Amino acid sequence: MSSVAAQQPIPSLKGPLTYSVLLHAVLGGLLIYSGFAHRGESWGGPGGAAEVGLVGSVPAIPLPRPDVVTPSRVVDNSKGLYKTEPPPEIKTPPPDAVPIQKFHLKPPPSPKHKSEALEHPTLPPKNVHKSKLLENPTPPPQNAVPYGGGGAPNIPYSSFAMGAGQTTAGGLSFGSSGASGDFSSRFSWYVQAVQRRVSSNWLQSTVDPSVSVAPRVVVTFDILRNGTATNIQVTRSSGNYSVDSSAVRAIRNSSPFDSLPAGYSGSSVSVDFWFDFHR
Amino acid sequence: MIRKTVVASAILLVLCLVGARPAAAQAWFTTGTGLGVSKAKVAVPDMAVRSAAAQPLEKTFHDVLWSDLEYSGILDLVSTSFYPKEIPSQPSELRAPDWSSAPASAYMVAYGNLNTDASGLAASGYLSDVSNPSAPIALQKIYRGAVTEADARRLAHQFADDIISRLGGGASGIAETQIAYVSARGRDKEIWAMDYDGANAHQLTHLGSVSLTPRWSPDASRIAFTCFVTNRDGVLSPQICIYSTVSSRLIHFPHFRGTNGSPAWSPDGQQLAFMSSQNGDPEIYTVDADGTHLHRITFAAGVNTSPAWNPKTGKQIVFVSDRGGDGAPVLYQMNSDGTDVTRINLPDMGYVIDPAWSPNGQLIAFSWRRPTGNYDIYVMDVVSHQLVELTRDEGRNERPSWAPDGRHLVFESTRTGSREIWSMLADGSQPRQLTFKGENESPNWSPR
Repeated sequence: MSSVAAQQPIPSLKGPLTYSVLLHAVLGGLLIYSGFAHRGESWGGPGGAAEVGLVGSVPAIPLPRPDVVTPSRVVDNSKGLYKTEPPPEIKTPPPDAVPIQKFHLKPPPSPKHKSEALEHPTLPPKNVHKSKLLENPTPPPQNAVPYGGGGAPNIPYSSFAMGAGQTTAGGLSFGSSGASGDFSSRFSWYVQAVQRRVSSNWLQSTVDPSVSVAPRVVVTFDILRNGTATNIQVTRSSGNYSVDSSAVRAIRNSSPFDSLPAGYSGSSVSVDFWFDFHR
Repeated sequence: MIRKTVVASAILLVLCLVGARPAAAQAWFTTGTGLGVSKAKVAVPDMAVRSAAAQPLEKTFHDVLWSDLEYSGILDLVSTSFYPKEIPSQPSELRAPDWSSAPASAYMVAYGNLNTDASGLAASGYLSDVSNPSAPIALQKIYRGAVTEADARRLAHQFADDIISRLGGGASGIAETQIAYVSARGRDKEIWAMDYDGANAHQLTHLGSVSLTPRWSPDASRIAFTCFVTNRDGVLSPQICIYSTVSSRLIHFPHFRGTNGSPAWSPDGQQLAFMSSQNGDPEIYTVDADGTHLHRITFAAGVNTSPAWNPKTGKQIVFVSDRGGDGAPVLYQMNSDGTDVTRINLPDMGYVIDPAWSPNGQLIAFSWRRPTGNYDIYVMDVVSHQLVELTRDEGRNERPSWAPDGRHLVFESTRTGSREIWSMLADGSQPRQLTFKGENESPNWSPR
């Protein structure tokens, strides 16, 4: 048996050895390289643990949607009505170096209180560093009610559109072309008076609460000699019925207007009034 | 052939001449909501005086006019230090460029002259638009009265109201309105009335007892109030009394058992809602203005009082009740027949009293004492229940009442140490003290 085995030449290990060394070198190099390239990352690559898709986000499955917490309207303190305090001055923190406090050992207690003194030794006070959180201004309490101290309140009751500036975008434009006589340049005070009256009667709170912005509504009407508004029509709708009807109601509630100016000879004047709704 | 052509062209010519009319082009203008809504800048120079008898009245007239316009909330008055030197007395004397350019930069000028003639004082008032070089006149009117201080004030109030109506697009001003209130002189409390700016205070009732909560009727001809009358047993009991401002006397109104008070007129003036404890605890009843057809409309344990009608529809009543679990008085709203009672929930606890509904039916003003504070005036939007606080840290502020223009409130305040009547714009600005003597409370603004 051994002679049979001895007659076979022992296969040289040089080739396989070379290949083995090369393979190990390549693998080792790859390991080291990837170790460097991905250092700092957690297992599984970016994103951490393997992500499991939420079943609820799959559109086909009709699961109940999570509750959406709508912010309380009363707490709406934007637009400067509830005056937020300016951020307080950040004082420079006291230097870290604090003189070492002298540690006064309490005088030896009388024998009566000896045990207490041993149990409750006085310790030097700790240094307390100011917490970073205290530097932030405290948020207003949950049931804060807006208080303007005399300014225009940020509430959509537009009785004060007569005096207060509005937040809606848009501007005032007068009809420049048209009949001879050019009503808006001759009687600009009348045009502004009509605008003030209708703006102050436009009650934005009567619009459907789910609408926050709406495209411009244009309503046309005629003002007769005695100030009555007639022929009220929506010539360009905002697309939302409650916005349109609030605009028409504003004009109806403003009628009768002031009578037409004495210097104007016509029997009526036609008005295009636009409303930009912006809650 | 030629004849046909001539005839045809003649017919055409005739048709053209007949058919051609100048196009009756109708004037029109375009405007809208937006940042352009601003207060008009108005200059109010002194009135020119054309007769010696009117001279001493000019200062009164001008001061009253100035104060009325400044308090209206829809204009800005240009400071007198920017005015040009010449006082215009009539439109021909007005030089628009002087007023519309810097430093005055006015948009309108209200001016005129005072004169006396056979019939008394004649004040000619003009309002001109000086932003337009031709200075068109927006208002010109002559106001007539007697040559007295009181009439000078009255004419100035009328002029101010007309200016506010012109610049407000037809909305009426409040310069001629009055305020009824309770004044305590000594032991008695009587009903008094004064002009809306605090002038001309005069006593209305002389009952020699305690009178409270005056309320003007919608036509301003009557004032309903709570009075204490002695019944046949010699016991003082609170009842509803009605005072006629036309005849200066009390009108008959039936007396009921128990405690009766806090009357409120319906917007058509036909009914009164009031609090009565004739059947046990205080409930709200409605009755016709002559005292007939009594109806009970609240049915709950506890106190139900201070009713206020919706002035726009006359179909809802807001009132104060402590029927809730914690026993604190809060606001409830119901239909005017007592159905559909709902509690008005506020974001905090406390006592909520004295509801007052604004003339456009959109806002309710009330007095609220929150756990951390004092009684303060709040305004709430009826539809969205959004709140605005109007007073803070200035004594107790109670019993608000709306002006008929919906832009002003009158209330009682203890901020000066004694209880006085104050008024302010409905956004909380420009608070003005109206009474200075004695203890004055429970104001109510007249509807016209």
